[in-house]
Amino acid sequence: MNPEPFLQLDRVIHEKGRLAIMSMLAASPELSFTELRDTLGMTDGNLTTHIRTLQEAGYVSVTKSYQNRRPLTTCSLTVRGRKSFSEYVNLLEQIVRQNRAT
Amino acid sequence: METNQVSEHLQVIRTLMERSALYRRELAPVMLSTGTLGVAAAAIGLELHLESMGAFAGLWLCTAAVAVAGAFLIARRQAFKDHESFWSPPTRRVAHALLPPLLAGMCLGLTLAWVGLANPVILTFTWLLFYGCALHAAGFFIPRGMKLFGWVFVGLACTSLMFLAIVPLKVVVSAHWLMGFFFGVLHLACGAYLRLTARRNSAA
Repeated sequence: MNPEPFLQLDRVIHEKGRLAIMSMLAASPELSFTELRDTLGMTDGNLTTHIRTLQEAGYVSVTKSYQNRRPLTTCSLTVRGRKSFSEYVNLLEQIVRQNRAT
Repeated sequence: METNQVSEHLQVIRTLMERSALYRRELAPVMLSTGTLGVAAAAIGLELHLESMGAFAGLWLCTAAVAVAGAFLIARRQAFKDHESFWSPPTRRVAHALLPPLLAGMCLGLTLAWVGLANPVILTFTWLLFYGCALHAAGFFIPRGMKLFGWVFVGLACTSLMFLAIVPLKVVVSAHWLMGFFFGVLHLACGAYLRLTARRNSAA
C-alpha cells in the first residue's frame, strides 16, 4: 500500500471531533454552537477546544451575536476551511479508489 | 490507517453532512396545534352552517393562515429556547419545500371554485392532494416519517378524487367533516404518535 496519500492528510481535520464539526459545517452555511453540541453529543468544553483549534487554523469563523437578548454563537466554514475539507475528502476517496484497484 | 477505516471515515462524513441539513425542531407541538385548529374550524363550519363555496373557502383559508402562523411561533419559541437562530438553513429549506405546493394548491383550488368546476368536497381533496405533496417535499429535510405522512394525504386525495370522478355519487356529507378529519384528526394522531415515540426514544 502506498503510504503517500495518508501522509498528506490534514492533521487538523484528521481528528474525530474536528472532522465531525467540519462535516456538519460543510453541509450548512452556518450552525449554532448548541446545534453542533447537541448533534455531536460533545461537552461545551470539548467543542470549544476543537472550534478554537479550527479557528486558529483559519478553517472556521465564529460569530457572537444576541437574539432576543440571549447570546448566540454561530460557526461557519471559511473559504480556506471549505477548500481544505474538500481536499481532505478527495484524498480519502483517492485512498479508497487506489486500494480497490490494487 | 486501513482502507476500511477510510471508508468508515467517509461514511461518517456523509452521515453528519446529511444530519446537518435536517430540520430538527420538535414537530409534535406543531402537529397537535394544527390538528386542534382543524377540529375547531370544522366544528365552527358545521355549527354555523358555512356550506356555501365562499364561506367554506374563507373559513379554511383563515384556519390555514392561523395554523401556519402558529407553527412559525412554536418553531421560533423552540429555537430561542435552544439558543439557536430561528431562520436557520434547515428551516429555510423546509419553508422553501412547503411553499410551492401550498401556493399551487390554494390557487388551483380557488380558481376551480371560482369558475364553478369545484364544490367544497372537490376543493377539500384538491387541497389535500397539494398539502400531501408539500409534506412529502418537506420530508426530505425532516426526519421521522414526514414523507410517509405526505404519501398518506396524496394517496387518500387521489383515491377519493378518482372515486368521485368514476362513481356518479352525490356526496351528502358536509365537506367540513372531511376537512375536520383530514386536517384535524389526522394531525392530532400524527402529533400524538410523534410525542409518544419521542418520549420513548428519549427514555431509551
